[in-house]
Amino acid sequence: MEQAPPDLERQWQPAPLEPLGHTDAGLQAAVGEEAEGSRDEVPGDGTEHALGLGVLMTENNFGLKKIEISVSEAEKRTGRNAMNMQETYTAYLIETRSVEHTDGQSVLTDSLWRRYSEFELLRNYLLVYYPHIVVPPLPEKRAEFVWHKLSADNMDPDFVERRRIGLENFLLRVASHPILCRDKIFYLFLTQEGNWKETVNETGFQLKADSRLKALNATFRVKNPDKRFTELKHYSDELQSVISHLLRVRARVADRLYGVYKVHGNYGRVFSEWSAIEKEMGDGLQSAGHHMDVYASSIDDILEDEEHYADQLKEYLFYAEALRAVCRKHELMQYDLEMAAQDLASKKQQCEELATGTVRTFSLKGMTTKLFGQETPEQREARIKVLEEQINEGEQQLKSKNLEGREFVKNAWADIERFKEQKNHDLKEALISYAVMQISMCKKGIQVWTNAKECFSKM
Amino acid sequence: MSGGPPKGLPSTGPHSLLDMPHPLAGSSSEEAVGGDSTPSPDLLMARSFGDKDLILPNGGTPAGTSSPASSSSLLNRLQLDDDIDGETRDLFVTVDDPKKHVCTMETYITYRITTKSTRVEFDLPEYSVRRRYQDFDWLRNKLEESQPTHLIPPLPEKFVVKGVVDRFSEEFVETRRKALDKFLKRITDHPVLSFNEHFNVFLTAKDLNAYKRQGMALLSRVGESVKHVTGGYKLRSRPLEFAAIGDYLDTFALKLGTIDRIAQRIIKEEIEYLVELREYGPVYSTWSALEGELAEPLEGVSACIGNCSTALEELTDDMTEDFLPVLREYILYSDSMKSVLKKRDQVQAEYEAKLEAVALRKEDRPKVPADVEKCQDRMECFNADLKADMERWQSNKRQDFRQLLMGMADKNIQYYEKCLMAWESIIPLLQEKPEAK
Repeated sequence: MEQAPPDLERQWQPAPLEPLGHTDAGLQAAVGEEAEGSRDEVPGDGTEHALGLGVLMTENNFGLKKIEISVSEAEKRTGRNAMNMQETYTAYLIETRSVEHTDGQSVLTDSLWRRYSEFELLRNYLLVYYPHIVVPPLPEKRAEFVWHKLSADNMDPDFVERRRIGLENFLLRVASHPILCRDKIFYLFLTQEGNWKETVNETGFQLKADSRLKALNATFRVKNPDKRFTELKHYSDELQSVISHLLRVRARVADRLYGVYKVHGNYGRVFSEWSAIEKEMGDGLQSAGHHMDVYASSIDDILEDEEHYADQLKEYLFYAEALRAVCRKHELMQYDLEMAAQDLASKKQQCEELATGTVRTFSLKGMTTKLFGQETPEQREARIKVLEEQINEGEQQLKSKNLEGREFVKNAWADIERFKEQKNHDLKEALISYAVMQISMCKKGIQVWTNAKECFSKM
Repeated sequence: MSGGPPKGLPSTGPHSLLDMPHPLAGSSSEEAVGGDSTPSPDLLMARSFGDKDLILPNGGTPAGTSSPASSSSLLNRLQLDDDIDGETRDLFVTVDDPKKHVCTMETYITYRITTKSTRVEFDLPEYSVRRRYQDFDWLRNKLEESQPTHLIPPLPEKFVVKGVVDRFSEEFVETRRKALDKFLKRITDHPVLSFNEHFNVFLTAKDLNAYKRQGMALLSRVGESVKHVTGGYKLRSRPLEFAAIGDYLDTFALKLGTIDRIAQRIIKEEIEYLVELREYGPVYSTWSALEGELAEPLEGVSACIGNCSTALEELTDDMTEDFLPVLREYILYSDSMKSVLKKRDQVQAEYEAKLEAVALRKEDRPKVPADVEKCQDRMECFNADLKADMERWQSNKRQDFRQLLMGMADKNIQYYEKCLMAWESIIPLLQEKPEAK
């Protein structure tokens, strides 16, 4: 397995001509293969979603092959961390299968364990090396937007289960992205268990990352960013705000709904007690009470299904952050460009002044000249020469920066368009599945109350 | 018009005491007796008001009773608009048309009472009077006084906490009207109570207050005998059947109380759920404003949640107005029934005490003195009336609760159906494909 270092050129590869593996329709959380153990009890794990397939570079780096990725198990582990302290964490089993074209059968090719922090490392790497791509987000690190019955504990089995699904979704998003899927580090993440962390760190990507401060500075000072990016940044801020609000209220709604259903359970007991003193009314009351119990317990499954909808919204909440990152990168590049242009202009002016002897701009040399006397013509010539060299260099740099900037804008915007399509499709699907959930809940309600009414009629 | 005691009819206790026919009553109270000492089977199977599904066993004329009053009263259970055997029903009473009256001293509501009857006790075939709550209260007290051996239906609660409940709101007035209507209909259906002279006056008098004042004078004569019944005697033991009734009523009231609390709690939770829903729906609208292709679907979801919120509000309103008051009524009913049971105990105690006293006086041994006989009579009539009323009450209770609980189930079904329709209708909207680019 060759270890071609990811180089900057790779990010400028245009998207492949043919859609890889599948269209955006397949870019959804996939269940993958059903594995034994922790998968079976998962309710509402998105079985209605299409089986997602991804693509991966083949071993010889030619072409792409179809694969299936699944995060099939989660396991609690204890180990020692960097400071030699004992810690408990969860490890996730990632299984990769290669799909044969002819018969659609899949063969397990790789299987390894990764923990959440490794996923984070992978994503941070991708963010640095593909700043023009809207990089898929990871599932949340800590449980948020919980309604009272859900646990906020990271070790809670339900949370771990939902995280497992979220991690699988992340990998599938990357694997189905036309550009990201070709990345070597991603490939190694799926195939090389040991030493992967070292390999990533060896790329030195952390050094290449833009500092937060620099980015912030650029945001404030940039003069001429592309308007589309400004709008996009505004949109992603609003999106983040509205989805947060939605998730918060939804959690409260879930809480209240839970209360309504559970209180009905009390009818079960009191009807039973009452039926004991009644003659003709007894049977009807008793059986109606049973239906009330059924009603009260039905809410647990209903709300568990709804959590899946909340997770779908959360993914796009986090996607908003990824969108903003791309905008920030553009602002940074644009600011860099503006500074370089400004610097060049100033040097040119200096050169001109030296050549013509006029001093319009303030310079240290000018000051010292005034204080300590004129410089010799040879000295002046030397300085002009240096400046001319710098100006030349500067012009080259400006040209390449300009080119870079334009390339970035073009490629970023292409990915943003792709993202928009994906988002519209996914969220529509999410809304449909939410409506379907509500319809199912209403039908169950009608059923239970119709049964109860039947019992009451026999009183 | 006789002013003397009724003759030759199975006595029903206080009827013999109250031998004063009311000036407004058509004929004497002789014909007014409908209650048999032994309840005929038909009484048990007779229809109750509001339930249109039960069939009367034999078209309505109970075997063995020839008195027209009793057969008609049995069938009085039928609703006003339920015309199975129109000719056998001879008394129809309805409460409607609430109106607000604003006077200098106070503001109050009156209700129109419409009476249609072919009974001879009524001079005219139709009456229409206006009454306010305190008139109903007066009537109930009079009935309790004059028919202490019978179960008097309850009235809706008298006092409402000012500030918490608006006693002039449409919902409150409507709830009260329904309860008052129920009250009068229950009396109308009762074979004895429906012939009570106070009831007659209530339905017919133009000036009820004048009668009320007059009635105070009457009370002093009647009061003696009534008071006589409720002397402070101690009962040794309640006969088994009445003990069973007492136990039943205790548990019944307890269970109803629990159901009332549960229902209130459900409504409270539903209202809190509603509050959150009303914030939830609009957030989708806000989001919709940010989007292009998703704008319509999101707006659709927002509207859908709005519709569900409205349906939920209707459910909680219905439960508050229709379900809770009936529960409370039955709790009041069973409370008043328990006090009638206690009165019965008193009568029995008095009889037993007198009997004991006689047993100790050797000289009267072979013959039982008249006043002890009277006591025995009183007790046996009381027992008979109470048993008859209990059975009638059980039957009515069964129908009432059947209707009430089916109504509750219905309201919930309707709520879910409204929500189902809302969500089903937006599926096509969500699935709409954008125009091909």
